[in-house]
Amino acid sequence: MPIAFVDILTDNFGEWSSGFWVTVRLVIGSFVIAMVVGTFVAALRIAPNVWLQRLGGVYVEFFRNIPLLVLLFIVFLGLRDQGIRIDAWTAAILSLGLYTAAYIAEALRSGVFAVPKGQIEASLSLGFTYSQTLRRIVLPQAFRTVISPIGSLVIAMIKNSAIIGASIIALGDLLKVGRILNSRTFQAFPSFFWAAVGYLILTIAVTIAIRRLETRYAIRR
Amino acid sequence: MTAPAFIFDWVPAENNGRYLLEGFVINLEVAFVSLIAAMAFGLLLALLRLSRNRLVSFATGLWVDVFRNLPLVLLILFLTVLLKPVREAWENAAPDFLPESFQSGLVVGALAALILYNSAVLAEIMRAGILSLPRGQGEAASALGLTYAQSMRLVILPQGLRRMVPATVSQLITLNKDTTLVSLIAFQDVMRRGRSVVANAGNPFTGSKVEAPILEVFLFIGLLFIVVNLLLSRLSRRLEIREQKRSGTKLQRVEGLEDQIT
Amino acid sequence: MRGITWRVLLAVMAAFAALVVAGCGGNDEEAGTGGGEATATATAEAEQFDPGTTLGKIQEKGEITIGVKFDVPPFGFKNPQTNEVEGFDVDLGRAVAESLGVEPKFIEAISDNRIPFLQDGTADLILSTMTINEERVGEIDFSDPYFIARGRILVKADNEEITGVDDLAGKNVCTVLGSTYEATLKKQAPEAKLRLVDSYSECLELIQNDTVDAVSTDDVILTGMIIQTGDELKLVGDELTQEPYGAGIKKGEQQMVDHVNEVFSAMKEEGRWKELYDKWVGQYTKEEQDPPDISVEEAVELVKQNEA
Repeated sequence: MPIAFVDILTDNFGEWSSGFWVTVRLVIGSFVIAMVVGTFVAALRIAPNVWLQRLGGVYVEFFRNIPLLVLLFIVFLGLRDQGIRIDAWTAAILSLGLYTAAYIAEALRSGVFAVPKGQIEASLSLGFTYSQTLRRIVLPQAFRTVISPIGSLVIAMIKNSAIIGASIIALGDLLKVGRILNSRTFQAFPSFFWAAVGYLILTIAVTIAIRRLETRYAIRR
Repeated sequence: MTAPAFIFDWVPAENNGRYLLEGFVINLEVAFVSLIAAMAFGLLLALLRLSRNRLVSFATGLWVDVFRNLPLVLLILFLTVLLKPVREAWENAAPDFLPESFQSGLVVGALAALILYNSAVLAEIMRAGILSLPRGQGEAASALGLTYAQSMRLVILPQGLRRMVPATVSQLITLNKDTTLVSLIAFQDVMRRGRSVVANAGNPFTGSKVEAPILEVFLFIGLLFIVVNLLLSRLSRRLEIREQKRSGTKLQRVEGLEDQIT
Repeated sequence: MRGITWRVLLAVMAAFAALVVAGCGGNDEEAGTGGGEATATATAEAEQFDPGTTLGKIQEKGEITIGVKFDVPPFGFKNPQTNEVEGFDVDLGRAVAESLGVEPKFIEAISDNRIPFLQDGTADLILSTMTINEERVGEIDFSDPYFIARGRILVKADNEEITGVDDLAGKNVCTVLGSTYEATLKKQAPEAKLRLVDSYSECLELIQNDTVDAVSTDDVILTGMIIQTGDELKLVGDELTQEPYGAGIKKGEQQMVDHVNEVFSAMKEEGRWKELYDKWVGQYTKEEQDPPDISVEEAVELVKQNEA
C-alpha cells in the first residue's frame, strides 16, 4: 500500500527529525575533533624531528587499522570500566573524531607536500620560523588543496555515525529511529527506506557544499 | 580490579586467547568471501557503467552512487530483516563442514550487505582504473580489429585492474574492519566472543578464576586487526613498487576515494 | 615478470583459503544441543501437537530456537573453554525443548534484537533476563514470571548500623549511574548520600575500601560480589524493588504461552525450579528463594511500583 509507505514518514516526522539532527550533531562534533587532532598529527608527521614523525605515524597506523566499533567499545566500555567517567555523547564524538583524524592527517600531509618546496625555502630564508612558515604559508594552502578529500571524509563520517547509533551507545540517531519504527510498526521496508533517504540527503548536501567550496577556494595543482 | 597496569594475563588462561583468535578468523573469512563476490559483482557493475547505452550507464551509475553513500550498518540491519525467508532456507540447507557461525541464517544478511556495498565501491575503483588508461590503448585495440569484448578482455581490463590493486587492497583493509559490524545482528564473530570472554572471566558464577577487563579484551581484539591490516598495507606498498618497476611508469593513485574509510 | 605479482597475490589468496579451511571443523562439535540423554524419555512423554499449529511445526522441524544471553552469568553465558552456552535461562529453555521432544537451539539475543527476532520468527522463544514491563507487553506476549530479581542492600559483614533501607539516611550508598536503582534509592532513601559510578566493579572497590557504606542493585549481582570477597560482605534488609523476568513469545501465540506456562508451573511444583535456582544462584548465596507465582498482570504492576 503506497499510502502506508509514506505514513511511516509523516506519522512519525517528529522522531525522524530528531534522529536526523542527532546525526548532524554527531557529525559536526566529530568533525571538529577530527580537524583539530588531525591538524596536530599532520604537523607531527611533517615535523623535522624523526621522533615526532614516528609518533604521528604511530597514531595514524593505529587509528586507520583498527575497526571503529572496537574503538567505540574501548572508549565507551573499556575506559568506563577502568573508572574514567565518560558519557555516551563524549565517547561517540571522541571515537569518531579520533578515528577520522588519522585520515585527515594523511590528507593534510599530502596537501602540504603539494605546496611547492620553493615557498617553504623562501619563507625560511626570509627569517620566518618553522612554525610561522607552517601557520602562515603552508597550512592555508594545504587546507585549500584538500577540500575535496576532506569532503569525502565528511561523507564517510556521516556513514560511520550510523555505527554509533546501532551500537550499545544508543544515541537516538537516524538509524536508531528507523530501527525503533521497524520494531513498532513491523514495516521494515519503509522504516529503513526513510532512514536511508535521510542519510542520502546528508551526503548529497555535503557533496554539493564541497563542490561550491571547491569552485571558490580550491587550488588545482 | 581496576589496576591500570595492562597485564593481559587472561589471554593464555582458560582458552580465552584461542577463543578470540578463532573468532577473529571468522571475521577474516567473512571478509574474504565478501571480497571475492564483491569483486565479481563490482566488475559487472563497472562494465555496465561504461556501457555505451545511456540508460544502462545511468541506471547503474545511480545504483552505485546510492549504495556507496549509504551506511553499511543500515544495509546489514535492513537486509537481515528483508531476507528472512532466505535466512530460513539457508539454515536448513547449510552444509555441516562450514564453521558454526556460517551455518546461522544471519550470515545471509551480513554477506548480502557487505557484497552489495563493497561491489558498489569496487565498481567505482575499477571504473576509475579503466578510465585512467590512456585513450590510445582502446583506440589501438580497435584499430587492430579487436571487438569491444576482445579489447576489454585482452587490453583494457588487465591493465586497468592491475592499477587497482593498491586501492583494492586498501578496500580489503576497510572490509576487514567492517566485518565487526556483523556483530550488531548477533552474528557470532570476534566481537561477540569478546563480550562472552569479559562476562565469563573471573565471574564467581562461572567458576572462572582469571578476570578479563573489557579494556584489555578489546585492545587485544583491536591489535589483531591492526596487525593484519598493517601487513596488508605493507603488501600493497610492495605490490605498488613492483608494478612501478615493472612497467616503468608511476602507478597512478586513484584519487577521491577517501570515502573508502568505511 | 608478471609472474611475481601474480605469485604474491596467489600466495595471499592461498593464505586466506588456508584460514578458511582451518576455521572449519575446529569449533563446530557443538551445535547448541545437549538435551541428548533426556530426549529419549522425553519423546515418549512429549505431547504431540497438531502439525498446523506453531508447536506442531516446531515438533516437525525437530528443534526450537531459543534466544538467550551469551554474556550474563548466571542466566546465560558462553564458556570460552567449551563454546557452549549455559545458565539458568538456558536450563529453562532445555526443559521447554524436552517437553516438546525437540532439540533446543540457542542463539544470542542481544537486547536490541530480542523483540525483532521474536516478531520475525528468527527465535521461537526468548529467555534472556527480560523484565516484564508495560511497554513490552504491548509488543509481545510473556509467560508467567519465572524469576524475580530483587533489589537489595549490601554492606560490610560487620556492619550493625544498616539493617534496611531506612538506615541509609546520611550514609554513602553506591549504585550505577542511570540504573533503575538510582531512581529507586532517590525515592526510598532520599536522605542517603548517593555515590553514582559507571560499573558495579567500581562499587565493589568502594565498599571494600570503606569509601561507601552500602551498595544497592540486583540480589544476583550483589551475590556475585559476596562470593568474590569471601566473607567480607552481607545482604541486609527487605527488597527495594522487584524485577520479574518472563519468557518472551510472539504476540498472539497463545498455544505457546499456555504450553510454556504449563512447563514452568510443573517445574515450580515438582522442585525442578528450586534445583535450578540452587545450581545457579543458591549454592553461592546460601539463600533460598521460592519460585515466583504471580501473573503477568501482577508483574507489570510490580514494575510500575518500582518506578512510581
